[in-house]
Amino acid sequence: MGKNLHDFLSQLEGQLQHDLVRVEQTVSPAQFEVTALLQHLEEMKKFPALFFEKPLNLKGKPSRFPLLSNFFATRQRCALSLGMSADDAKLALSLEYARREEKLISPVTVSTKEAPVKEVVKRGDDADLYEFPIVRHHAMDPAPYIDMTPVMKDPEQGFYNVAFLRNMVKGPRRLGIHMSPRHNWQIHRKNEEKKRPTPVAIVVGHHPAFYLGALNVSPFGVDDYARIGAVMGEPLRLTASETWGEDFMVPADAEIVIEGHVLPNVKEVEAPFGEFTGYYGPQRLRPVIEVTAITHRRNAVFQHIFVGHRDNWVLGGIPKEGSLFNLIRGIVPTVKAIHFPISGCCRFNCYVSVDKKIDGETRQAALAALAGCDFVKHVVVVDADIDVYNEEQVMWAMATRVQADQDVDIIKNAKGNTLDPSQTDDIMTAKMIIDATRPVQRPFAARVEVPKEALAKTRLEDFISPAILERLPKA
Amino acid sequence: MANIFWVTCPKCRGEFYCHTQELRHKGIKLLCPYCSHQFLDEESPRIME
Repeated sequence: MGKNLHDFLSQLEGQLQHDLVRVEQTVSPAQFEVTALLQHLEEMKKFPALFFEKPLNLKGKPSRFPLLSNFFATRQRCALSLGMSADDAKLALSLEYARREEKLISPVTVSTKEAPVKEVVKRGDDADLYEFPIVRHHAMDPAPYIDMTPVMKDPEQGFYNVAFLRNMVKGPRRLGIHMSPRHNWQIHRKNEEKKRPTPVAIVVGHHPAFYLGALNVSPFGVDDYARIGAVMGEPLRLTASETWGEDFMVPADAEIVIEGHVLPNVKEVEAPFGEFTGYYGPQRLRPVIEVTAITHRRNAVFQHIFVGHRDNWVLGGIPKEGSLFNLIRGIVPTVKAIHFPISGCCRFNCYVSVDKKIDGETRQAALAALAGCDFVKHVVVVDADIDVYNEEQVMWAMATRVQADQDVDIIKNAKGNTLDPSQTDDIMTAKMIIDATRPVQRPFAARVEVPKEALAKTRLEDFISPAILERLPKA
Repeated sequence: MANIFWVTCPKCRGEFYCHTQELRHKGIKLLCPYCSHQFLDEESPRIME
């Protein structure tokens, strides 16, 4: 048995009590009830994973599939999914991700009889998306969306690409699919040029390390199944698909796999959809998937991501931090830390700290971050005395170490993201580097500090009672 | 993001937006996300672009 979601959830409940909340009441995901609960919790600054025991399916009937939501909303849970301590959820987590990502672990094949995801197989008209508790997320979304990971296979080189893409439910066996011009889009484009359908398998529910691995920033051509295995720390178990047999392999330990064809040269209206930016992507013409088969575990869990919120952001940030830290370290060895903050959707804003020895290292570090990931729009480079995980400190460095005419660089007409609402072009964007470090070559003011000796010998509890300290409001 | 235009659904008056290059003046029916009504952009009582 390979790593899987069921075993991990049991482990989570043992290790982080209260981090997984089981909801026993009936809930209607397609009527915004799941996202309403998540929004209420978000406003309370609480981000538990929610396990809905009795969700309704798209027919309005009790679904046989429970629903897992908001799992990735905390770095602590992500750390646990890589076998780390919840205390190592900051840079240590990203560096561990980067360490694992540097190698590939080839997947292994198991027979369909051994594959849990084949416990229930439905082909053709028996496959029915309406049996699932699919979530409708935001007010302007026209339908429930499956927002997990479609897998596609390059028709020329045979590698697999796994990516989070939105899939609009259009019928019991019909989905719309949105692809930005990235890797899966390239694969579909190659097939479409030859008027061939693109095989696709959507993996709905797996061990969380599978999804963290799926978000690696490897170049086009790297087999994502091998990269996911590296991040999971064991070979990913694959099994033959129902539709294409061994010509297209699917994860054997997944909860649910939806197989289908992206039809060539067929486009229908799709969206608006509340996207990772926190804004709706516009309605547009997008390809269509015809579902050919659905396979799942007998006790499968249906999983979704709360797009445009922490669940979506944290998940996307950790892999980028690790990969870009490795990339920057090769160019600027004095790099200390990197962070994609929540405030930038864990994608657009990147904070990097360097123990700067010479002026110019900051620009090198920033340029590497921009080149390494096209999501990155703004790089703020700070000194090593600034904690990049503490946004207040980063903003303080910007306030006190930046002269805009000297320390800010703008790069125009770089590749951006089609979903960034600030872009005036569909593809191109402007990038910005902010050097918030102190100069090396001229004297610079010192930070204020209370003497260390005074801090050591003057103990708070000797002057203010613990009871009063406990009652003091937090800032 | 690409250029967008806001439309109003002639049936339910709900407002949403679409990709200009792909859907403006293309003779393609838009899908109201609120009531599922399908209509041409020219049928929208109000267009903001």
